[in-house]
Amino acid sequence: MSPDGQDRDDRYPDNPDQGSTGPDVPAFRAARDHVRDEILRFVRALRRSGVAVPANAEITAVRALVEVGFDEEATVRAALRACLVPDAEDLSTFDRLFPEFWRRLTAGLDPDGPAPRRDDGPEGTLAPLGDDAPGEGPESEAAGSSGETDQESESETVAASSALDAMVTDSRPDVDAEAVERSWFSPTGSRTRVSEGTGVGAAGRLAPAFDELTRGLGTLRGRRWRQGDERADVRRSLRSSVGTGGTIVSLPRRERKPDDVRAVWLVDVSQSVLDTVDRSFLFGTLRRARVEWRDCRIVFFDESARDVSAAFDEPTAAAALDALHGAETEWGGGTRIGESIAGFLADSPEALDRRTVVFVVSDGLETGDVATLEEALATLSRRTAGIVWLNPLAVASAYEPRADGMASALPFVDGLFAFGGATDLAAVGRQLRRHGLGGRIGYEYDPRRGGSKARRTNV
Amino acid sequence: MANTAVRGSLDQIVDYEPTTPMTDRQTTAFSDVTDERLRTLFDEESYVADGDVVTTVLLALRLGKPLLVEGEPGAGKTELAKVLAAGFDTELVRLQCYEGLTAESALYEWNYTKQLLAVQSGDDASVFAEEYLLERPLLRALRGGSPPPVLLIDEVDRADEEFEALLLEVLSDYQVSVPELGTIRAETPPIVVITSNRTRALSDALKRRCLFLHVSPPSFEKERAILARKVPELDGVVAAELCAMAERLREEPLRKPPGAAETIDWARAVATLRAEDDEPLTPEEVHETLGCLLKEVEDVERVDDSLLETLIEAAAEARVEVTS
Repeated sequence: MSPDGQDRDDRYPDNPDQGSTGPDVPAFRAARDHVRDEILRFVRALRRSGVAVPANAEITAVRALVEVGFDEEATVRAALRACLVPDAEDLSTFDRLFPEFWRRLTAGLDPDGPAPRRDDGPEGTLAPLGDDAPGEGPESEAAGSSGETDQESESETVAASSALDAMVTDSRPDVDAEAVERSWFSPTGSRTRVSEGTGVGAAGRLAPAFDELTRGLGTLRGRRWRQGDERADVRRSLRSSVGTGGTIVSLPRRERKPDDVRAVWLVDVSQSVLDTVDRSFLFGTLRRARVEWRDCRIVFFDESARDVSAAFDEPTAAAALDALHGAETEWGGGTRIGESIAGFLADSPEALDRRTVVFVVSDGLETGDVATLEEALATLSRRTAGIVWLNPLAVASAYEPRADGMASALPFVDGLFAFGGATDLAAVGRQLRRHGLGGRIGYEYDPRRGGSKARRTNV
Repeated sequence: MANTAVRGSLDQIVDYEPTTPMTDRQTTAFSDVTDERLRTLFDEESYVADGDVVTTVLLALRLGKPLLVEGEPGAGKTELAKVLAAGFDTELVRLQCYEGLTAESALYEWNYTKQLLAVQSGDDASVFAEEYLLERPLLRALRGGSPPPVLLIDEVDRADEEFEALLLEVLSDYQVSVPELGTIRAETPPIVVITSNRTRALSDALKRRCLFLHVSPPSFEKERAILARKVPELDGVVAAELCAMAERLREEPLRKPPGAAETIDWARAVATLRAEDDEPLTPEEVHETLGCLLKEVEDVERVDDSLLETLIEAAAEARVEVTS
C-alpha cells in the first residue's frame, strides 16, 4: 500500500497527479513509489554492508535523480555515489551493489509499468528481479497455471536466496581461501636467519635510537606549551593588546604540548621470536621504555599473557633478569597471539585508553584462531591511540607480511616495522615523528629496504 | 519516454513524504545549468573532467549543496574551484584552513582601532555598526553579489574539529549570526567547494550537508589529455612517456605519490629543457628532472638504477603505443 492508503498497482485513470504531469504517462504513483522504495532499499543494503550513508541521504538521492533523470546508468551511478558514499573506502561496496539496484530500478520504470514487487527477505538485501518481464504483473501470474506459478515461485526463492548468499559471502573475507594462499614464512625470503648481522651493538647506540622513538610518540602532555584551550596566555594577551590600545579584546589560550608517552608493550616470547630477535636488544628497549616513559606496561605472551612490568623496575638489567627468573616467567613455546591479547584485554581493561600506544613485538606466526586475532586487534585498535607492530622477521629486505597471523593483523596495525637493532628503532621513531601514527608509515617506506624491490602489499 | 516522464513526477516524491518537509532545499542561481554548459565551461578552462565530475558538480550547483572533494594532494581539487569561478565569471573567495584557525579569521572581526578612535573622538553613534565590520572569507562569500562567488574552503582537514562546527551554520542555512548586528543571510548561496586531503576523518554533521566527490589519480589517457591542455608546448609522444612513467611510479610505495599537478610541473620542466625535441627521454634527463615529480627526498632516493630502468621501459612502451 502506498502512504496515502491506495493500492500502488492501480493505474488511476482519474488520478489528479496524472493530469498535473502529463496525460500520456500512466501509473505515476506506482512509478514514484517504485523509485522511492528502490532508493530506500538500496540505502539499506549499503548500510547493511557497512557503508556510512548520511542520515538524510535518501532525500538528497531522490532529488539528485530528479535532476539527472534515469536515461544513463553512468550518470545515475555518479549521482548516487555523490549523495550516498562519503568515504572513498566504501566505493567498492557501492559499485558492487549498484548494478542490482539499477536493474531493479529500470525494470520497474518500463513503459509497460512497474515490475511486480516481491518480498526481499531480510532487511536491506536486494533480491534480484530475475528475468521477470516488467509487465508481468499479478494479473499475468494469475492467468498462468498453478503448476507454473509454483515452479516460478520456487525459482524466485532460489534466486532471492542466492542473492542473499552472494551478499553475505561478499561482505566477509574468505578466510579459508586466504589460508591456502599464505604460508608460514615469507616465500620471497631465503632460508638464512633473518636476524643475522643485526645485533644490538653498544648500549650507546640504543640510547639515541630510543630517544628518537620517544620524540615520535608524544601522546601525553609534557612541559612545553602550545596554542590551545587549557589556560589563558598572559604574555600573548598583553602583546596583542598593543594593537587595540591596551584593551584585551580576545584572550589567547595555551595548553601543554603532548610529548610524553603512555604505552603498552605486548612481547611475544614464543620460541619462533626468540630464535630471531636479539634478546639483549629487546631487553634493553623494554627496560628503557619502562624507566623513561611516564606510563608503560610490559606484557609477555605466548599462549597466554602475563604482566611483567614490575620486573623491569629493578635498578639494573641483571636485577631485572633475576626478577623475571624469580617470577618463573617462561620464554619459548608456541604462539596464540589472538587469545593472549584477548585475555589481556579482559584482565586489564584499565591499561588501555585513547592515549596509549601499543607495541606488539611478534613475528605474527599465529598458531591459534586467526578470527580471534582479528577480533582482539580490532578491539585494541578501537581503544588505543594506535598499534605499532615490530617484527623481527621484517629486517630481511625480501620480507613480505604473508604469514597467516601477520596478514590478518595488518588492517588493524598503524605501522609494521622491522625490529632487529637500534637502527630499526630509530627508523620507527623517525617515521613516527615525521608522519604520525595515522600517516604512511611502515617497513615498506624504510629507505634502507632499497628501491624497486619494495612493493606495496595488497593486504 | 517513460523515464523522462517519470522524472517529472518524481518532483512530487519529497512532497509526498509527510515527514520530510522541503525546508532544506536552497534557492540557487544555477538551477538551470545543464551538463552541456558545464562540459563547455570545463573545456574552455582547460580542465579535464570525466563524467563523474561533471555529474557531481552539476548536482552541487542545481541542488545548492556544498561539494566535498576528497583525494590525494595534487589531484586537482583546488583547481576545480578556480575553474568554476573563472567559468562563471565570478569571484573566488578562498579560506585556507590550518590548525588553530579561528572564527575571527574565517567569519568577521571588528575593527578595534577604528572603534577606539570613534569612542575617543566622542562619536555618539554605536561602534558596532557596518562600517566597523571587517569581512573575512565566509562572510564575504555570503554577501557576494550576482552571480554568487565560489567559496573555496581549502584543506578543511587541517582545521580543528571545532572549526567544522562553525561551518555547519554557514553551510546548512547560508547565514551567519553577528550578535551585535543580527543574522546575515545570503540572498543567493555561493557555490561552495570544500577540499580535504583525508588526513583525518571529517564529522558526520559536515558530511551530511555535502555532496561527495572522490578524486583519484588520473589514468594514463586522462593525464595525457591534461598535459595536452596544460603543457601544449611539449611534444605529444614525450608527454605520453612522462604519463607512463608517472603511472608506473604510483605503483611504488611512495610517501607522496605524484598527482596530476606534479606531472604537469614535470612536463613543464622537460618542455623547458628540451624545447620541441621529440626524441625519447634518456635516463639522465629523467633522473635530473625527477625532483619536479617526487617531492620527498626519500622518494627520490628510492628511484635507483633498477627502478629508473623500469621507468624507461614503461616510457618506451607508451611511445610505441602512441606512435603505432
